[in-house]
Amino acid sequence: MKLLKYALFRLLQAIPVLIGISIITFLLANLGPGDPVSLMLQGQEHDEELVRAIEQRYGLDKPLHERYVTYMAGLLQGDFGQSIYYQRPVSDLMMDRIGPTLLLVLSAYAFALVTAIPLGVVAANRRNEPTDHLSRIVALVGVSTPSFWIGIVLILIFAVKLGWLPSSGLVYPWRPPDAYRGIDGHLELFQQTIRHLLLPMIALGTLQMATIMRVERTQMIESLQGEYVKLARAYGVPERTILRKHAFQVAQLPIITIVGLNLSTALGGAVLTETVFNINGMGLLFVNAIQRNDYQLVMGVTIVLGTLFVIGVIITDISYAYVDPRVTYGESE
Amino acid sequence: MSSEPLLRVENLKTQFFTETGTVRAVDGISFEVYEGEIVGLVGESGAGKSVASMSLLRLVESPGEIVDGEITYKGETIFGLEEGPDGDLRERDDVLSNEEIRTRIRGNEIAVIFQDPMESLNPVFTVGGQLREFIELNRGLSEDEARLEAVDMLREVGIPDPEKRYDEYPHQFSGGMRQRVLIAMALACEPSLIIADEPTTALDVTVEGQIIDLVDELQQKYGTSFIWVTHDLGVVAEICDRVNVMYLGEIVEQAPVDELFYDTKHPYTDALLDSIPRPDRTVEDLEPIEGVMPEAINPPSGCRFHPRCPDAREVCRRVHPENRRVAFAGDEPHRAACVKHDAFDVGYDESVPIDPEPELMADAGSASADGGEDRE
Ligand code: SF4
Repeated sequence: MKLLKYALFRLLQAIPVLIGISIITFLLANLGPGDPVSLMLQGQEHDEELVRAIEQRYGLDKPLHERYVTYMAGLLQGDFGQSIYYQRPVSDLMMDRIGPTLLLVLSAYAFALVTAIPLGVVAANRRNEPTDHLSRIVALVGVSTPSFWIGIVLILIFAVKLGWLPSSGLVYPWRPPDAYRGIDGHLELFQQTIRHLLLPMIALGTLQMATIMRVERTQMIESLQGEYVKLARAYGVPERTILRKHAFQVAQLPIITIVGLNLSTALGGAVLTETVFNINGMGLLFVNAIQRNDYQLVMGVTIVLGTLFVIGVIITDISYAYVDPRVTYGESE
Repeated sequence: MSSEPLLRVENLKTQFFTETGTVRAVDGISFEVYEGEIVGLVGESGAGKSVASMSLLRLVESPGEIVDGEITYKGETIFGLEEGPDGDLRERDDVLSNEEIRTRIRGNEIAVIFQDPMESLNPVFTVGGQLREFIELNRGLSEDEARLEAVDMLREVGIPDPEKRYDEYPHQFSGGMRQRVLIAMALACEPSLIIADEPTTALDVTVEGQIIDLVDELQQKYGTSFIWVTHDLGVVAEICDRVNVMYLGEIVEQAPVDELFYDTKHPYTDALLDSIPRPDRTVEDLEPIEGVMPEAINPPSGCRFHPRCPDAREVCRRVHPENRRVAFAGDEPHRAACVKHDAFDVGYDESVPIDPEPELMADAGSASADGGEDRE
């Protein structure tokens, strides 16, 4: 019950943040360089009248604050406006594109957690032994290499040279198999999804893996030196149990926070990864929108990505409160 | 006093091999613990008390190692060396294996209570769950039986409403209550010996008094022996039957508690006594011990206390006194490691007095004569 109250409280707290995001996005999109109308009319004969007609149609002739209010009123009803380039509602476009991005980001996290946690634990348990050194190298490389570069290298090796995996596109597991040519049945659909996902997932997940692994290692080392570990040893608890239960549970708490905070880098990385692997997600949509000065679309994508980040942070906060008995949900007992 | 001790420690040496040199944290101590008694292990921080007590469970953390001596408990060998055919020292065959130590000694024969009740309990598990786990493990009970036992034990140590508190987390307990939980843990495993390592140091005086009363009461009820590790002779006076005073890895005085207080034989014990509040003295009379304990890496020559000893004479720099019987208390020996007693006969009376060494006094910056016991 207390947890539910806390969750509600955190959600309410997010409202001003989201309003802030919308204002900043709106200002940047509308005050930035590039004029959408002239872009739209590129190469066409046009006169003042036509320009004014278009401005009127998109509401560009009104003062800024009025436009903001209109925009926000639309947002509350799920209306993100009309994409100038695609001539389709922005919300429709994003609905198509958000699935692949979520799939990519979530699988990158899954990859990062599944590899980083065991590696971090082993590194902490065998400090200064070969596995620890290896983990340090992996972490250093992982933190300092940009995801798009990793993506390109992966493509060169596994797609171009070895030809094992596809280099671009995604296969969406939520579509029916017959939506794809040459895919037969759900099993193959799933296999193809994995095959397509593997390289972008690694490209995007490596940075997360490296960060999480270092935190995991540090936390485990600290936890293993805790008095409660000494106590467990003194009571004859097997070393295995200490590692997997006593020390491990305490060490996982900061990982939750890291996962939440890194969501911003993960979403940013997704934009680049989607470009490299030609995945039709929010990232690619975003890049195209910027290139075409499609300011309605830019705003929509920015606000949705920002909201995703805020939601991610709230989810991690709530799970932290759920996992750590010491969190008192911001009120005194 | 019964003839066979529960625990016998002989010439125990535990050393830490660090980059700056070998820290002789415990340097040849011998003592016994008999059934049903509380034995004090007293000294300043860094004297090697905690390392000594952890050595008894073979729980010395790397880079520390027990290098010499013998520890026997109920006729079983916790540690022991013999000369191998090639002349090197090696572990004897009758020494318990790591697995045997873990399953047969730790917890169910020798349990511990640590200093810091805040840190000793795992923050993410319920108090009851932790208690139950140790009981299950050390008494071979089923989960349900262990749970009942845990609740009973919580009640026994004076925790109100134990059924409810069983499911609470450590942060919901006060310091004193947590220490009670640790005591419950130790007793619930039904050991014959409990090592209490500064169990009241982190508590305030009122709570400390309550905990000591509780231990006193439970000790009589269960007949468990205790090794009470502390820096506080005041606590020792309240609770211990016999006392070992440690200085820089050595036991410098060993006596029944009354003899230690009323017929003190070692100047270091004197100094310790002068530094604690007593009902017969005012606060102004308190004298802190002068100087700081030197490093156990490179202990002073001769008597290790000589740089700080008010009675030091020239001979103390040369002769290293072992802990020797200097008097009798009833039929029990009163031992002290100080050459001023006749039992030594190395010419103390003729030797010239020396002043305490000022450089050691001033050197408070490197006060970490830490034999590893406070290491993280
Ligand atoms: S041997 Fe000498 S220096 Fe050591 S305690 Fe006795 S009198 Fe003091």
